Amino acid sequence: MNPIASTFMLAGAALALIASLGLLKFETSYARFHSAGKASPISFFLVAIGVGIELGVAAGVQLFIAAIALAITLPSSTHLLFRAVHRTRDDESAENRDSA
Amino acid sequence: MIIAITLGLLIGAAAFAVTRLLRGPTLADRIIALDVVLVTLMSAIAVNAVREDTTLPLAILVSIAIIAFTATVALTRYIESSHDQ
Repeated sequence: MNPIASTFMLAGAALALIASLGLLKFETSYARFHSAGKASPISFFLVAIGVGIELGVAAGVQLFIAAIALAITLPSSTHLLFRAVHRTRDDESAENRDSA
Repeated sequence: MIIAITLGLLIGAAAFAVTRLLRGPTLADRIIALDVVLVTLMSAIAVNAVREDTTLPLAILVSIAIIAFTATVALTRYIESSHDQ
């Protein structure tokens, strides 16, 4: 097996583990969203690069399309979650949050 | 051997995310935990394609990404609309 492909796949899996650890350990919702929304698509990109090197061009094209779909959808869904949490929080500054 | 280590790391990542999914505390935390589980599943499908030396399962990956986005959009709409009333 190609050592470069193995390195990319191992790095992607390790990054996925670190992202999930941040999702489990951080204190606030915003910190958890940062950990999950930024590190996990990059972990898939690294795994996709490794798998594409190993399986050839035809698989690489499919993995590239999947990576583009993930790069478009996951940041926007994380942004929607941030906005929902920000709009529905219940602290004392909630009534004048739109006046800034 | 490399494949086994990679799949083990991905299983650990999915286990952490499922723990957050069960623990909560808010609905938004559960939604982002489900997203992380699905991205980990996408990586695991790609690694398993290398293990079985086939390119057939790679067509699933795009549909998983788009379905996860649709579910997240619907649930965030639910959070915002259920707060307003």
